[in-house]
Amino acid sequence: MNQSTPLSNEAIEPADWSAELQELEQRRQWSKGLGGQEAIARHHANNRKTIRERLEGVLDAGSFNEVGSLTGKSDRADGRVNQFSPAPYVCGLGEIWGRPVSIGGEDFTVKGGISWSGDRKKGGQGGFVEDLAHDYRIPLINLIDGAGGSVTSMLRRGYSVFPGVHGFEQSVRLLGEVPVVCAVMGTAAGGPAGRAILSHWSVMIKDTSQVFAAGPPVVARSLGQTITKEELGGSDVAVDLAGTIDNVAENEQECWEMIRRFLSYMPQNVWELPPVGDQSDPPSRREEALATIIPKNRRHPYKMHNLIGMIVDKDSTFEIAPRFGKSVITSLARMHGHVVGIIANNPMVYGGAMDAKSARKQTHFVELCDTFHIPIVFFVDVPGFMIGKEAEAAATLREGMKSVYVGLQASVPMYTVVVRKCYGMAGMGATDKNGLDFKIAWPSAEWGSLPVEGGVSAAFKREIAAAPDPKKREQEIEKQFRESASPFLTAEAFGVEEIIDPRETRAYLCRFIEASIYKRKTALGPKPKFGVRP
Amino acid sequence: MAVEQLKSDVTGSVWKIVASIGDDIAPGDSIMIIESMKMEIPVICEEGGRLVALHVKEGDSVAEGQNIAEIEI
Repeated sequence: MNQSTPLSNEAIEPADWSAELQELEQRRQWSKGLGGQEAIARHHANNRKTIRERLEGVLDAGSFNEVGSLTGKSDRADGRVNQFSPAPYVCGLGEIWGRPVSIGGEDFTVKGGISWSGDRKKGGQGGFVEDLAHDYRIPLINLIDGAGGSVTSMLRRGYSVFPGVHGFEQSVRLLGEVPVVCAVMGTAAGGPAGRAILSHWSVMIKDTSQVFAAGPPVVARSLGQTITKEELGGSDVAVDLAGTIDNVAENEQECWEMIRRFLSYMPQNVWELPPVGDQSDPPSRREEALATIIPKNRRHPYKMHNLIGMIVDKDSTFEIAPRFGKSVITSLARMHGHVVGIIANNPMVYGGAMDAKSARKQTHFVELCDTFHIPIVFFVDVPGFMIGKEAEAAATLREGMKSVYVGLQASVPMYTVVVRKCYGMAGMGATDKNGLDFKIAWPSAEWGSLPVEGGVSAAFKREIAAAPDPKKREQEIEKQFRESASPFLTAEAFGVEEIIDPRETRAYLCRFIEASIYKRKTALGPKPKFGVRP
Repeated sequence: MAVEQLKSDVTGSVWKIVASIGDDIAPGDSIMIIESMKMEIPVICEEGGRLVALHVKEGDSVAEGQNIAEIEI
């Protein structure tokens, strides 16, 4: 006898779920309507795109898969939904350059993108969007357009929440695991502003976005200062002066291009190497202008950006924080397709001396490269740390030593190319002391614990003062020192590993960077952090 | 026509002014040279334009970020 019970004809009749499916579709439509046409029109009038337009703008076409599209609050009567207000946060899985990313952002058209949580948070601080990036080991993109919590939530709850109830623990964890990009799209204060800083790279929009710990009303109440939000946290302050945010985009379109460009240099996570790009620019390319770019007159600067451009793959640079700490240039680039991090002193700004701002910038960039296994190339022309009253008051020494400390902990391969001056502790910070300590120099290079000029006047103070013509005596002693400062003499002692014709730099570096891949493969995974930063 | 402020990237002193008011400055040309950290640092007008105002003279001290000239683009 057959043990199974045959299904009755009634049971195999197609079931009718059409009402429920219709409701699902209806709810999706409400969600796509965001905060309603009026709110969207106001948002557009302020030269801002909606969160859904932004997702379309930055992601590969048609690649967005939403998660949490039904979140929000419905107004029901007689078992029917009359009105629906979507949650002010949209997130999901998308693709950039064909690789998956976790992405989310506040919807400003719903209650100004106020911080939201149902049973689970979608994003903003922690939430599904960060869990997805962490669990799947894929990059995270935050499109920030909210001012965080509101005091009104206290009335709704009936109690006050402790700071960090939706904390930054996952945001911090991500910084050692996957690339994190934060774009400040509107006015960010409080939690969302703090979230923007917990990133590998951040960007904001000129004139339409601002970022601060607290906005003008709070500042007026607490300090009596009357100030506009642009004066308080526009890009002139947040990017140029403070370096709170790394880069500024002219408009949202440029912002999308920058985000896509930044991610093109990044691996998906720290367990893999960065992708190898276009290899059509031959490593053997020799730029004649490199032979003459360094002026013979030591007082004359030159354009370091041009020098970099001639050595790396054509049009392959992406400069991080170009408007802050300008005495050092930090740029992602490629050499024969391999991603590299360029750290170059800029002689046009303080003769390339490292000040507190450029030290801060270098510290972050070294960590970024080390975390994602990107070899670092230093183009060194540094007279030392910045000096003077302002520099001391800005803690140049501490910020400078922090950058030296981080450089000494990094384990990614580094190449030191001394193009002119390499002096003092800042010079030491441009070497790979934790690895091969591979120092390559151009014939124009010079180095020492301090530049001859200052050193001679300090060490021979009495002798110079006692001479009949002190100025002449100082110059005589300086000349004597300069003669023994030839880089060739250091090369004889193998104190510098090689001196090359500047035109050979590209070929030379490409060779070693490609060979370093075996070392980098053995160092995949999170980089350990230990000790106390000075 | 927009007028743009040209700022000094460095603290130092104005060593030499190499352009005059009314000059058309080609992109990438310099307007003055500031001495800082024993270097002669040119103030470069990246985008070019007409020099319409100079806020400093030779020998003046300048601070980082100070407006030193105006360029009409």
